Amino acid sequence: MRKVVLLLMAILLSISHIWAQQRTITGKVTDDKGAPIPGASVIVKGSNTGTSTAADGTFSISVPPKAKALIFSAIGLGEKEITITDNSTYAVTLSTKTGDMTEVVVVAYSTSKKTDLTGAVSTVKAVDIENKPFSSIDKTLQGQVAGVQSVAGSGQPGANQAILIRGVSSITAATGPLWVLDGVPINTGDASRLQTTANLLSTLNPNDVESITVLKDAASQSIYGSRAANGVILVTTKKGRAGKTVFRFDTELGMSDLAYENSRYRPLNASEYFAITTEGLVNLGATQTQINNTLSGLGFGNGVDYNWYEAVTRTGTQQQYNLSAQGGNERTTFYLSGGHFIQEGTTINSELKRYSGNIRLTHKPNDKLNLNFNLNGGAVNQRAPLAGGAFGNPVLSSYFLLPSRSAYNPDGSYNFTSLGGLHNTVALSEIDKRFLRETSLRGSISGDYKILNNLTFRTAYGADYNILEEDQYNNPLHGDGAASNGRAFAYYTRYYNWVWTNTLNYIQDLTKNGDLNLNAQLGYESQKSSAYLTSVQSQDFPPTLILTYPSAGARPTTAQATISEYSFSSMFGSAILNYKNRYVASGSIRRDGSSRFGANNKYGAFWSAGVSWNVDKENFMQAIEFISQLKLRASYGVNGNAGIGNYEWLPLYGYGNNYNQLPGSAPSNVGDSNLTWELNKPLNIGIDVSFLKNRINITADWYQRQSEDLLLNVPLSRTTGFASATRNIGFMENKGVELTINAIPVKGQNFNWIVDFNFAHNKNRIRTLPGGNDIPDGNFIIREGVAYRTFYLRTYAGVDPANGDPLWYTDPSHTATTSTYPPAATRELAGNALPKYFGSLTNTLNFKQFSLEAQLYYNFGNYVYDTWGGYYLGAGFGATFNKVSRIMDRWQKAGDVTDIPKYIYNGNKSFQSGSTFWLNKGDFIRLRNIQLGYTLPKDFLSKIKLTNAFFYVRGTNLWTWVKDENLPFDPEQGTTSASNLNVFIPKTVSVGLNLAF
Amino acid sequence: MIHFSKYKLLTVLVFVGLLSSCKKEFLELNPPTSLTPDQALGTEADLLVALRGAYAGLRGVDFYGRTIPILGDIMADNSYQHSLNTNRYTLYNNYTFNTTDGNALGIWNTGYTVILRANNVINAPVPTSAKVDQYKGEAYAVRALAYFTLIRYFARPYTDNPAGLGVPISLTYNADAKPPRSTVAEVYALILDDLTKAYALMTTFTNSSQFSKYAARALQAKVYLTMGDKTNAKTAALDVINNGGFTSLTAANHATYWASGLIRTDKLETLFEVSSDAVANLAFDALSYIYSQAGNYGDLVVSDDFYATFDAADIRKALYPVVPRPANPPGAAIPTVNKYPVITGDYSDTKVLRLSEMYLIAAEASLPASEPDALTYINYITTRRSAPAIASTGTQLLEDVLAERRRELAFEGDRYMDLMRLKRDVVRSTNYPAAARNIPYSNFRRILPIPQTELDANENIRTQQNPGF
Repeated sequence: MRKVVLLLMAILLSISHIWAQQRTITGKVTDDKGAPIPGASVIVKGSNTGTSTAADGTFSISVPPKAKALIFSAIGLGEKEITITDNSTYAVTLSTKTGDMTEVVVVAYSTSKKTDLTGAVSTVKAVDIENKPFSSIDKTLQGQVAGVQSVAGSGQPGANQAILIRGVSSITAATGPLWVLDGVPINTGDASRLQTTANLLSTLNPNDVESITVLKDAASQSIYGSRAANGVILVTTKKGRAGKTVFRFDTELGMSDLAYENSRYRPLNASEYFAITTEGLVNLGATQTQINNTLSGLGFGNGVDYNWYEAVTRTGTQQQYNLSAQGGNERTTFYLSGGHFIQEGTTINSELKRYSGNIRLTHKPNDKLNLNFNLNGGAVNQRAPLAGGAFGNPVLSSYFLLPSRSAYNPDGSYNFTSLGGLHNTVALSEIDKRFLRETSLRGSISGDYKILNNLTFRTAYGADYNILEEDQYNNPLHGDGAASNGRAFAYYTRYYNWVWTNTLNYIQDLTKNGDLNLNAQLGYESQKSSAYLTSVQSQDFPPTLILTYPSAGARPTTAQATISEYSFSSMFGSAILNYKNRYVASGSIRRDGSSRFGANNKYGAFWSAGVSWNVDKENFMQAIEFISQLKLRASYGVNGNAGIGNYEWLPLYGYGNNYNQLPGSAPSNVGDSNLTWELNKPLNIGIDVSFLKNRINITADWYQRQSEDLLLNVPLSRTTGFASATRNIGFMENKGVELTINAIPVKGQNFNWIVDFNFAHNKNRIRTLPGGNDIPDGNFIIREGVAYRTFYLRTYAGVDPANGDPLWYTDPSHTATTSTYPPAATRELAGNALPKYFGSLTNTLNFKQFSLEAQLYYNFGNYVYDTWGGYYLGAGFGATFNKVSRIMDRWQKAGDVTDIPKYIYNGNKSFQSGSTFWLNKGDFIRLRNIQLGYTLPKDFLSKIKLTNAFFYVRGTNLWTWVKDENLPFDPEQGTTSASNLNVFIPKTVSVGLNLAF
Repeated sequence: MIHFSKYKLLTVLVFVGLLSSCKKEFLELNPPTSLTPDQALGTEADLLVALRGAYAGLRGVDFYGRTIPILGDIMADNSYQHSLNTNRYTLYNNYTFNTTDGNALGIWNTGYTVILRANNVINAPVPTSAKVDQYKGEAYAVRALAYFTLIRYFARPYTDNPAGLGVPISLTYNADAKPPRSTVAEVYALILDDLTKAYALMTTFTNSSQFSKYAARALQAKVYLTMGDKTNAKTAALDVINNGGFTSLTAANHATYWASGLIRTDKLETLFEVSSDAVANLAFDALSYIYSQAGNYGDLVVSDDFYATFDAADIRKALYPVVPRPANPPGAAIPTVNKYPVITGDYSDTKVLRLSEMYLIAAEASLPASEPDALTYINYITTRRSAPAIASTGTQLLEDVLAERRRELAFEGDRYMDLMRLKRDVVRSTNYPAAARNIPYSNFRRILPIPQTELDANENIRTQQNPGF
């Protein structure tokens, strides 16, 4: 079938058409301040005819007689549509940030005027994405869009980023959005298998991105069918504009340090540690001999006082360089770019380097045919330390290793012996290897053919190809490799994903006067993603530190290769009806089939319906001057979440349960032939209103998302031999409001003040669960009537002043306490991991050549769990590990009132066990970005033959306010909001330069 | 208004054609490394592969891989957690474990995972043959071992109250089953029945890491002794001794026997052990790693009072070198465990049943009926360990037999099980924390809690938690 289409394309290419009776339109494009904009694109609406403005902002274009409007746009500025009247000269102003209704936004499978939208769609422009000290575009999204929560779990450069759009709608299946890059649904997330965290998007240079569109409701999402439930993020890369070739060079250099430190969690020095350990041994009832033996075993009196925290943290450097060229003529445009990005983490052994390139070509052989090619490539080298409880984790060693154990012997060599069973991470970061080389190619080739003036056929073949090569070496002398006399891993992971999309677009006036328009689309799409994974491991290495690849190991222990695939096959259609630009109705439908789902439920249908009323277009509104735009929107629909394992529905026997190196098999998956997508039913009601000639723009949305037939890991009785089975069962709801305000309080010739504010509030509730039963989920409870990710813990009641025992409440009214942990009250609901409110406030000031921008990100109403606190603050638990300074608040004598119990060597009555003691309020405000910039004056620039030059100083995460003085780590700890001794989140100070010529 | 050229019409027709071209096979993708249960259990050869999976399950870290042999000594009075440790088994050393305890959950999970694997072999509809009988026989024995392990840790002993709550019985696969606890007597009846079937079905000895006819019989001897059925215990033990064809460990080969991490095919001493090989092993989490002082852990060491019970000439004393812990110099020299010395390559295996234990069972089961028999069997062991001969009578003889059993089977997970079946208090030395030196038989923590996870998922067991938890 594909051959037929290629043949068809060849036929189509041979057809050409000629237009007659052109006329010429001229004009000038300027910015808010009246300065001319060179290189702005001017396109005849509904065609690909276009030109670009000259250095003085002027343009001249030939347009066909039927042309109704021109569309103006420029990089970093909005787009604007101007209706063509009898005039032949136009003055056009493009502003940096306005919610202009004529703006064109990228939507699913197409673009749309804001006027035509019935759904909730938000766009982030290049200017807010470029040149940030972030390793991937998902990290730049934080605070940019109301209702989009983008959370870091780790400060590792290249770390995966969790994105939640309008709350979390699934318990077991994926919760992140579908990413669509230039029309291709791509594989994203962490595809690594040896790294603690990685991110496929880290190979994409944010500077190659023109815009990001977030689809938040049924009307905008549902056409993506079974994968739309968590929202859709459309990424559009930069393309060339006809006109003079424009070169751009951007660079930024910076330094990073820890964004947040709490002095109450400073690891103890040697004298403090031994004082408290002696106290703990006395409290344990140890004899003096036992105390002496234990202390000497711990290194007491050896004269060493080593600061592991200082040893593993560092000031990281960061730099990036980006060069691009773009231009072309009316038939052909191009965009070329190259970039280099280097970032070091705030912890030893943590860094990322990226090289990237991008090419996009468009060519119009004639007025009927439009060809497009783009290819984006990126190569990342990442080095990430271990995380969590691994002894090789440098962050763990900074809290656990005793100050009496130095990283070095007195002769300067590494200490491999007296470390109390822990690992010398300073040595290991030098000797051991943990590398990821990640290479991505993402591209598409497409053709648009105008069958009729109002009927366009489009075929697009897109692919993304990701290769991950991971190497790990653990030396034979010390650390994780010692038990196996040295070991090394080499993992190769390849994801190849292709998507072939064919659409027919049909635009038709349904009435003779053109008041009622139809814009309809019909499409077919097939997609297949294939992963190929090989794993090699060997051990028993020669006694050297130089040979680090598995070939050097004497004993191969892992030799594995496998594949993992999924496929989708879909048909879809959509239609928009527009009456006089006042009333708009939209609808979409999609039928998806997927390999991921059970034989009995392979196909499903998804739909949406939306309406909008552009009130400002009504005659009665023309008299109301102060309201410049007013639009009401509503949409409802059904889409799905297919984000589960590729073979989840099959009952399976797995292999690899080997015995004496002979093959062994065992049941590995319960399976369910009825398994299918979970349903998401979003209802959205919104309003867009602008006042005072768009000086104040407000968008507000209310939504309700009902998720039914949840893909849920239903816990089974362990007596079945399985822990859980994935079933379609359960019902969850998210409700919320979003508010976006853009205002320009001061707009003058020399001074501008722009305020952007966004706010989101989401309320989650689990409505039904199988049998109404609770499902325990680590420190959380999954319970009917309660929000997902609600902590469920025993309630800590403080310390008994009489004897220093830890106390827990035994009754829900918190009147009675006990010092015995197990009979303490059953666990209680104790706050949620996800914020009640979050958003950002950005102030931008422009004074002559200077600009100042400051963004505050705020997050309120969630809690953060201190996962490893029991070890470094556990009243003596983990006695041979170091403690933090807050332990000095411990109970010491009768009458002491404190919340840290009496310190007893090896622990005091399960104090270290899970309780609300380890839960801290997560509220924070963070100065996410502050930037002071200076643009060189235009007359000076023209002398040195530059079109633009901009210098700036930027601070990222420079200031953080937290509500809870006992919050041990950075408040950003992923969407599960539990610290895991990850690489510390950085704050960065950088200087940058942008040049255009 | 609209005029289609034939090319344009063709374009539209091709597009419509595309819509209907979705092939069914495009959406049928098979997993690359797994089979459906029908495919995986179809033939005689498949059964052997599935049987190995059941044995591999026994190697789980919270089963015979480490936790089961560890708890049998640390919950008793043989091994204690050194004050310089990596925090493993602290809660058992201190008797402070709770319903959410990870090791208890691990034992429960692994036990029933092994039972499912064994059930599927036992129930597989494969035509019978000598090999199929052997495999099914081994699976019966594996299942019996799993139930015997679970019942002894999660329920009060049979010698206490056979009608008390045991553990749930699962004999066929049903993902939605939520069984309540069966009685202790029902579970023991199943174990004995499985072992009788295993004994009848098996004909082949493969190696020490797989069950054989007489290994199943040996397990049955131990089960009878645990139930207090001395007559049957003695009969079964003597059946193994006299008919099993296994040879005894002597003073000459004792050291090399314990130094080896390999499985045996020579029928010397080992009736059944759980194999850790050079590829499939638990590495840092291996049993050997937590005892051996050659690696990074070596957390668990020998209690002083137990070490003192060894006679100077006893060759077993060599298994407990008195050394300073190398990871923490310059600490004092203390007795440490070197019974599982192999911590790289083909790791030390976990001994589950040894021929020596059959003599110890025969000796104990002979009392009080036949003291001469008891002395014969017990001194069969002492003479082969260069230990002083036992010549006592009456209750002292029983105590001497138990003490000899403690010395012979130390650090193989047996001591605590003896104290349980004999309903004795745990009395520990000053090596242990002051609050955990005397654990009466009545203490609720003498058995493990039914894991909270099971109570949460299974409403039929929710009201059947062990008292105290």
